[in-house]
Amino acid sequence: MRRFAFTCRIEFCLLVRNFFGFFFGLIFPLMMLILFGSIFGNESIAPGSDLRMMDLSIPGYSVMVMGVAGLMSFPLTMAECKEKKIYKRFDATPVGKKHMILAQITVNLLLAAAGILILWLAGKILYQVQIRGSLLLAGAAGLLSMTSMFSMGFFFTAVGKGAKISHLLCYLSYFLMLFLSGATVPDLLFPESVQKIAGLLPMTYAVDLMQGIFAGDGLGMHKKELLVLGGLTIVFTAAGALLYRKKDWA
Amino acid sequence: MAQAIVEVEHLNLSYKNVRAVQEVSFMLERGEALAVIGPNGSGKTSTIECVEGLRKPDSGSVRVFGKDPWRRRGEIYRQTGVQLQETEYPAKIRVEELCRLFEHFYERPADWQSLLRQMDLEDKRKRPAGKLSGGEKQRLSVVLALMGRPKLIILDELTTGLDPEVRQNMWTMLRAIREHGVAVLLVSHYMDEVEALADKLLYLDEGRQRFFGSQPAFRQWAKSRLSPDVWQEGGTLEQLYLQLVPKTERITMEGIL
Repeated sequence: MRRFAFTCRIEFCLLVRNFFGFFFGLIFPLMMLILFGSIFGNESIAPGSDLRMMDLSIPGYSVMVMGVAGLMSFPLTMAECKEKKIYKRFDATPVGKKHMILAQITVNLLLAAAGILILWLAGKILYQVQIRGSLLLAGAAGLLSMTSMFSMGFFFTAVGKGAKISHLLCYLSYFLMLFLSGATVPDLLFPESVQKIAGLLPMTYAVDLMQGIFAGDGLGMHKKELLVLGGLTIVFTAAGALLYRKKDWA
Repeated sequence: MAQAIVEVEHLNLSYKNVRAVQEVSFMLERGEALAVIGPNGSGKTSTIECVEGLRKPDSGSVRVFGKDPWRRRGEIYRQTGVQLQETEYPAKIRVEELCRLFEHFYERPADWQSLLRQMDLEDKRKRPAGKLSGGEKQRLSVVLALMGRPKLIILDELTTGLDPEVRQNMWTMLRAIREHGVAVLLVSHYMDEVEALADKLLYLDEGRQRFFGSQPAFRQWAKSRLSPDVWQEGGTLEQLYLQLVPKTERITMEGIL
């Protein structure tokens, strides 16, 4: 355990130095919150509704943070380590590459958790945002959404020999989902054709689930989202593991 | 009876249609130094990577400390240190952090600060690994290979790219660790190095084992294969090796210069 904690500490230092994950996971969502909050305020989403803009924006930004960690920071690190054969060197130690990969996942999960916590604290202080649903359910929904992002990122690292294809898939999927899933821009503003495309994106389901649970919905109201996110997690993890079994790490 | 650290029998390994290693067998005992020699592409690194447990052999048996390195890699690395032919580290990790990280991998780690001093890397402690020169990276890889106080050390082209003084220091270091009973398995293209350090030689060519045995036995074997007019009594290992390996066509630079 001490060994793993130390590896996580080193991976955390590397994460901070790599700037991308650190900035887009912790600082950028906060900037979005303040920027959009100052432009659009925190009005009711519809006349008579007690739900306000920020009640929907913060769960959306939270999914954005999950995407940064699961679809960008973790898979880009893993793809680089795979391409440069850094894992090969760790395979020639008593701990092996699994230890390093697990530490990279842990650190990125913690990054996402910290990013979400900062967002909610800022939302509470600046816009009096409240979690209407159960905290436990919110945590479970967050964990499932996060797992699905990480499993997708893991699958992308397994595709292709080098890191180029993995990078392309990560950037493409992240930015496409960032703008079309409703994480940053409410999907109700999109034309119907774009909404249809959004319906094909995994992040859309994570945003819907998070927004619903935080607004006080029960899990029963989000069976479709749970099924899609759970199914995608299983499929992407299994497909990634299958591709890695055939890979030559040496 | 001497203690076998590495035992390889009838090792075979292929990459798609290329038979990289064919029927290779050898043994390394405690405190011995074995050098794997042969031209580029002769299967040296592939053979070593099977011993390191980084490649799964197609057939044959590999035992390191009596264990299958492919299946029980984690266990053999408690007593084995390696320097791979090409090693990259996360670009932004500092030398000191890498040492501390490796220190945590072993139950009874060596003093990495002393190792850095001995490898003349003490002033590079804060430098990112990605900013080290080729020679510095090579020396760092030796520090990390020695971190677990290994009983077997595997060095793949250890002194490639090092200046003569550092090479000499590496040789001194290797002699010193052998005195402590550490078995050394090294791959090298430098025959002066092999002559100075190795007790035994494994000579590979096109994936096939041409010779395995002691240095004097290698000379006898080579003598029996070379015509008397070519044979030089008391010649260096390099002279002998160059007479044994297949010759390239004479380079004339005609039409180029």
